[in-house]
Amino acid sequence: MKIFFTIVLKELLSFFRSFGLVFIVIYFFTAEVYVAATGMEIEARNVAIGVVDKSAGGISKKVLSSLHSPEFQTSKYYKSQKELSDAIYNKDIMVGMIFDEDFEKNYYKKQNPTINILIDSTTASQSLMAIGYIQNIVMKFNNLKLPVELKMHKLFNQNADTKLFMGVSELLSVITLLTTILTAIAFVKEKESGTWDIMLLMPVNPKIIILAKSLSQIIIMMVGVSISVGLILFHSLDVPINGNLLNFFILTFFYVATTAGIGLFIAAISKNIMQVSQFSIIIMMPIIFLSGAWTPIYAMHPFLQYLSIFSPLRYYIEGSESVFFRGTEFIDLLPYFSGVLILGIILYWYGFRKIGKLF
Amino acid sequence: MLEVKNLAVSHKKKIAIKNLNFQVNDGEILGFIGADGAGKSSSLNAIAGVIKFDGEIIYNGFSYKSPKEVQKVKQNIGYMPQGIGLVLYKTLTIKEHLDFFTDIRDIKIDKAFLDYKKHLLSMAGLERFLDRRAGDLSGGMMQKLSLVCTMLHRPKLLILDEPTTGVDPLSRIELWEILKQSAKEFNTISIISTAYMGEASKMDNILLFDEGEIIARGSSKQLIDEIKPFVYDKIETDKKHITISDTTYCLENLENHHQEPTLESLFFVNALKKDRLLPKLQISKSKESIDKNIVVMKATKITKKFGDFYANKDVDCELKSGEILGLLGANGAGKTTFIKMLLGLLPLDGGELELFDKKIKSSEDRNKLKSQIGYVSQHFALYDDMTVKENMMFFASIHKIDAKKSAQLIDSYSKELGFERYLDEMPKSLPLGINQRFSLAVSILHEPKVLFLDEPTSGVDAIARAQFWELLKELKEKRGISILITTHYMSEAEFCDRVVLLKDGQKIADDEVENFYKKFPNANSFEEIFLEYYR
Repeated sequence: MKIFFTIVLKELLSFFRSFGLVFIVIYFFTAEVYVAATGMEIEARNVAIGVVDKSAGGISKKVLSSLHSPEFQTSKYYKSQKELSDAIYNKDIMVGMIFDEDFEKNYYKKQNPTINILIDSTTASQSLMAIGYIQNIVMKFNNLKLPVELKMHKLFNQNADTKLFMGVSELLSVITLLTTILTAIAFVKEKESGTWDIMLLMPVNPKIIILAKSLSQIIIMMVGVSISVGLILFHSLDVPINGNLLNFFILTFFYVATTAGIGLFIAAISKNIMQVSQFSIIIMMPIIFLSGAWTPIYAMHPFLQYLSIFSPLRYYIEGSESVFFRGTEFIDLLPYFSGVLILGIILYWYGFRKIGKLF
Repeated sequence: MLEVKNLAVSHKKKIAIKNLNFQVNDGEILGFIGADGAGKSSSLNAIAGVIKFDGEIIYNGFSYKSPKEVQKVKQNIGYMPQGIGLVLYKTLTIKEHLDFFTDIRDIKIDKAFLDYKKHLLSMAGLERFLDRRAGDLSGGMMQKLSLVCTMLHRPKLLILDEPTTGVDPLSRIELWEILKQSAKEFNTISIISTAYMGEASKMDNILLFDEGEIIARGSSKQLIDEIKPFVYDKIETDKKHITISDTTYCLENLENHHQEPTLESLFFVNALKKDRLLPKLQISKSKESIDKNIVVMKATKITKKFGDFYANKDVDCELKSGEILGLLGANGAGKTTFIKMLLGLLPLDGGELELFDKKIKSSEDRNKLKSQIGYVSQHFALYDDMTVKENMMFFASIHKIDAKKSAQLIDSYSKELGFERYLDEMPKSLPLGINQRFSLAVSILHEPKVLFLDEPTSGVDAIARAQFWELLKELKEKRGISILITTHYMSEAEFCDRVVLLKDGQKIADDEVENFYKKFPNANSFEEIFLEYYR
């Protein structure tokens, strides 16, 4: 046990002494998250739309027929506003439109007919774009001198603020990349300098070395995440916290351990730091792309949507966003926890085995 | 003629060379000797015009003061940086190399050039291997090819940075033949740095570097004559002196028989002149009694293959307790691979291994023996982001040595091995000789019974090397530790009890050191003896 902590301590010491790494970590956790949050735009694609239509259906059908691909999926019909809200809550749809019973009547009478629109704004830029489209379409009907007023109800992210969403998902991507690279470097640096051989000849159980080294990197990541959440998310970007922050940190811990497993795997197959960066990009990019961090999963090709089940980042992102924006209770976070945990155990176990074989 | 005036080079704030002045005549071979970091490479780089420098260099009346101005004389310069095969492309064949260097040098292909090329190739003995890729060549052949490529455009000024380090003795002689012929036939100026004193003695003139300055210059004979009065047979004295193995160096007159100095003696006399007395290094005796004549390691027909290439083929080797076994060979002869297989860092592809009379079959077998083995890897790999003291504390703790004892050990070893004042520095900033002794201390913290040392003397200056061998002798005598050490310095065979000579992964000689001289009574040095085995 003493040896375990000796190694953890030694790893932390050597991390803090390598200015390059410390700088990169600080940069990614602060400036990178902030820049990504304030400087990215995304277009609406394949938005799921739900409709409650209590009107006669003539005009509403015309409006809906204008909401077509590639921007929108074919509309789904719901019986009541309650069902529609639940569907949004469960992420089945992003936009909900409600045509009242007297919508068509008022429309013909020109008595301010109203379409209520509910929108999930966690995917902020997507929802903004969707609103834009819908507004345009309704404007066309207005041009026919049929005045219609839209009433929006944005859920979970009241200002539909892109910054918040991008900030959080960038942080999560940063965690993914950094953990992998840091863990892999912690091992490969020793391969490069030759100290690896020396450690192999020490009368120490290699499992202890692997666990201690990966734990040290997890500690660094957890500290980095805390700084980033406090300083950038809460302080600079004003991200709300509707759920229990502790849940986020527990989830983060599991997730970081998961990606550390991927790092171990990369360390096992790389000969030098150069290869670590190459393999990290090859392996991590699909995980990030498929997670929904940059493009919502429902906007992907169906095959990719299927693949995204295997991206641990997907569960981590959905879980974290639920904590920050939706304020989801622990019990409802369980699916995300189990997604991360199951993939995590498999990945860490595999990475552990793979690098263990080198000892 | 080449003239160097007030040449100075500094890397960031560190001064590499200062105020260098010398002249070389056409057809002359000038040798640079000195420890690593003494300023040899910096001087060569400055003359070749590949780094920034102060001062003036005049080649045949053309003066240059910066790398930019060198451009005009570049067609006259042939420069080979340090490191085996550094100017070569592993995936190109010898012929492709020649074509490539002909093209980038924009050489006119006429009969004269073709004859010259043929001449070079036959001198280097490469004409039969034109279709072989550089990556498949031995270290010696790589260096010969590098030299041929460097000389393809008929440079009148050859600048070669340690072209022979780590190259086998036969190839080294061939490289020398090429250089000598070219100096004679084409009146080339050659400036060559070397780590081998035997080679330095063949040069027309020698410059001895120390701390960025030339401290002695002249022909090998002149230099040796100059220090003759300071070299004695071993003797105890109160006067300022350095005693190493059976030689005593002293600037004052001693009543004792003079010894014939070598070029190595230059370094010791210089240390005396600069008042750099050597710390007395010693190892405290262990309390345990020492058993002799136990077989510590026995390797039978050990083989390692990388693809189609045999790194080691059917090597037999035995190490007895209380013995220093030297594993000699050029770079690429398979020394490191062999040591790594003994240590279990590489799996065996064939053969059997016994350690302490136990057959080694699995990693389980090894784990029990780990505490009995000490290892110093090539380039003294320890954690370079931790200080010397932190490194020692870390490894002591890994060896489950308690804090009190480890503090004691660090204290005593740092005093005995003379690195006490470097305890709080990072290994990278240390002189190589200090690094070497500190790595040795780390490897014996846990009192191992056998020590494996991979090229611990490579790149280390003559003094530190001599001291290191003395230490190994102490370890052997006072602790009964068996030592397996690899080196590419053939001359270091004299410090071993037994020598195994490797060539291209195979054993070509294995005998006790005394017997080698019996077999070749006419040989002057181990270099010459081993040359016989290479032929």
